Amino acid sequence: MTLPLGIDFEFRKLIMDVHVSSDKIKYCYQCSRCTDNCPVAAVANPFYENIFDPRLIVLGTLLGYKDVVMALAGTKSAIVPWGCTVCDTCDTVCPQGIEVTEIIALAKNITTGAGLAPDNIVAQAKAVFENGKAIPSQPAIERRREQLGLPAVVAPDVNEVQTLLKAIGADKKL
Amino acid sequence: MTEYKIFEGCVIGNRLPFLEASSRKVLDKVGIKTSQAPFACCPDPTGIKSFDNTAWLALGARNICLAEAEGKDILSLCNGCTNTLRGVQYQLKHDSHKKDTINKELAKIGKEYKGSIDVKHFVDVLKSKLDSIKGGITKQMSDLKVACHPGCHYMRPAEWMESDDPLRPENLKEIVAVSGASVVDYDELALCCGNAVAGPFPEHGDAILKQKFDSIKKSGANCIVVNCPACFQRLDGEQRNLSKTYDTEYNIPILYITELLALAMGVSSEEIGLKNHRTRRDTAIENL
Repeated sequence: MTLPLGIDFEFRKLIMDVHVSSDKIKYCYQCSRCTDNCPVAAVANPFYENIFDPRLIVLGTLLGYKDVVMALAGTKSAIVPWGCTVCDTCDTVCPQGIEVTEIIALAKNITTGAGLAPDNIVAQAKAVFENGKAIPSQPAIERRREQLGLPAVVAPDVNEVQTLLKAIGADKKL
Repeated sequence: MTEYKIFEGCVIGNRLPFLEASSRKVLDKVGIKTSQAPFACCPDPTGIKSFDNTAWLALGARNICLAEAEGKDILSLCNGCTNTLRGVQYQLKHDSHKKDTINKELAKIGKEYKGSIDVKHFVDVLKSKLDSIKGGITKQMSDLKVACHPGCHYMRPAEWMESDDPLRPENLKEIVAVSGASVVDYDELALCCGNAVAGPFPEHGDAILKQKFDSIKKSGANCIVVNCPACFQRLDGEQRNLSKTYDTEYNIPILYITELLALAMGVSSEEIGLKNHRTRRDTAIENL
């Protein structure tokens, strides 16, 4: 697969804005500790379409190469950016304190806006929108809670949850 | 006495309530008071955060507002929930632009995030009660050789969690040792259970979990102790599948740290619903 490399300044700005200490990202010197310690990179197949490389993601976002981070999203064999298992190991080992996982989370957010999120992620968001909980209450579990002497789970205010999600516009991605 | 708002979370509350049963028993025994609140989903730091970070911040902040209204700290029974609630606090406290944005949204439901309460993981609360735990132990647990799996979100990112060494965690091991069981070290202590990647890419999740189990098998442990319901589901629920995929036997019992403590404190396995585990319990636990 050829990657059409174009610089997307808007994407670059988004990445800078999302980072809590935004200028830290600029000091990435591509040492690759993130990738060397990434559990997914360690088990990804050595075939091109399956690589998962946090170092490359940081470089791609820094340079505004949106396609390096996003082009593969949504295709069946693509593991960027949803291959990230959110273990936060890269953040921990980065000598420059770059929040790599936050960058990848933003990339994921962009794919959900484009309707390219994995099914289980969309299903979870739908469940939260409809029930206020990622896992709705079920009669069998309610009975088990009773048998175990547990109080019923206090129901959340679903209206408030929906009002917030609508105000943010997250409902449109469902 | 301090009273916490208990945050059982979606997975424990609505899928694995037996983990809440042992947790409540242990909290009771060491003298920690809790009360409920109508919390919504935390929401998931690997799910909703990946779906929409602003939604993650807003829903997380809303939950914190509920505890703030009562002036009580949150005690969470789950790594993911703790990670979200502490992560939201961290981001809102370090980024005034984000805080203003979220408060503008919260105003639409009559709420305001202030940042006036703390969010605690139950392991950290238990760690501050080691003497009470020790005093409550009535059973001999020395047959158990425990491999600890604290899970990523208990201690990472370190800036959010402020709980333990992010790559060489010790707290869970300390609590297990107080129970009288012996702690067995293994190489992949800080390795992820692969839960988040297993959704879209199951083969990668399996490969990570296999590394974890292989390392634990090599250590000679006869039991794994965890403190996260997502890790519990992965480690307890996926062993049969993993055995088939890799043609290797994986059959090691998983205990929540509160299950281990409850058993050590003389609570019966029926009272805490131990039969709901997927992986068969071996004789070491059956004989307790």
